[in-house]
Amino acid sequence: MPDILPRRRLLLASATTLPLLLAAAGCRSSDVFTGPDPLAGKPQPAPDVVTLQAVIAAEENMVALYRTAVSGDSGTTRGRPLAALLGQHTQHLAQLRARLIVPAGAASASPAPSASPTATAPAKASPAKVSIAQLRTAERASATNLVKRLAAVEPALAQLFASIAACDATHVIALGG
Amino acid sequence: MTKLGTTGAIGAVAALQAALAAEQAAVFGYGVAGAHLSGSRRSAAGQYWTGHNEARDALAAMISKLGASPVAAQAFYQLPFVVHDATSAMALAAYLEDGVTRAYLGIVAVASARLRTFGAQAMQGPAARAAYWRGSTEAFPGLAADT
Repeated sequence: MPDILPRRRLLLASATTLPLLLAAAGCRSSDVFTGPDPLAGKPQPAPDVVTLQAVIAAEENMVALYRTAVSGDSGTTRGRPLAALLGQHTQHLAQLRARLIVPAGAASASPAPSASPTATAPAKASPAKVSIAQLRTAERASATNLVKRLAAVEPALAQLFASIAACDATHVIALGG
Repeated sequence: MTKLGTTGAIGAVAALQAALAAEQAAVFGYGVAGAHLSGSRRSAAGQYWTGHNEARDALAAMISKLGASPVAAQAFYQLPFVVHDATSAMALAAYLEDGVTRAYLGIVAVASARLRTFGAQAMQGPAARAAYWRGSTEAFPGLAADT
């Protein structure tokens, strides 16, 4: 019991003097705790996140392209197979979005500036009508783009990219390529 | 293939050996399937059989180059179901191509960027052939159905 009071005093003294000592030494919280300074501003997304955002943007474009093609061909013989391919792209988009976890307050979730222009070109044009040849070109570009990107992401995401690229390649053949 | 979402980088040699084993199984299986096919399907099976032989040799060479011994083919493979007509033969061909697709997807999980790209490109052929035999495309070739 006689030892307790001196220990308490020591603890209280430490709690009071440590910040003062740090301040006197010119230290900030980020020097004491490793990692980024939580007060330094919005965190930048990791490279994997940036890549995933670009791939999601490209897949959104692909879905938009197919929707245009399907709406222009509903009731025709090619409308049904196109709807099936659109359904698979919608599944791709859902899987890709499920992998994207961006913390609240993080920097812009816009696509990476390095996104392949070939992958996004079809939707930029936003044509009123989409030909089979345009779809084939978009599928081929998407497969190439995904394979290019998978080297730089973690293994599970790389496998998802590779699987989607393989699906796109089968679509090229289904579209007569 | 390692389960998606739980994997870290896996060994290059192990992934290549798995792909080699899948190619060897395909070579054997196409021999069985081809015997029940005719016309354009039989000729497709013959063409694909040749392709699997070439892929097998290429993989064996890659494995040797990495200093390992390529796995040997088995003398006989247990078929997943009885093959007695064209329908079951096409189902077997699709099954074999799915197995090869999965095996190449396993290579995409290795650390080497060059091998990842190789695996991703190599799986597109079997995915397309599986779609040919099945008569339809799949959203996620090589991945588990619950992806």
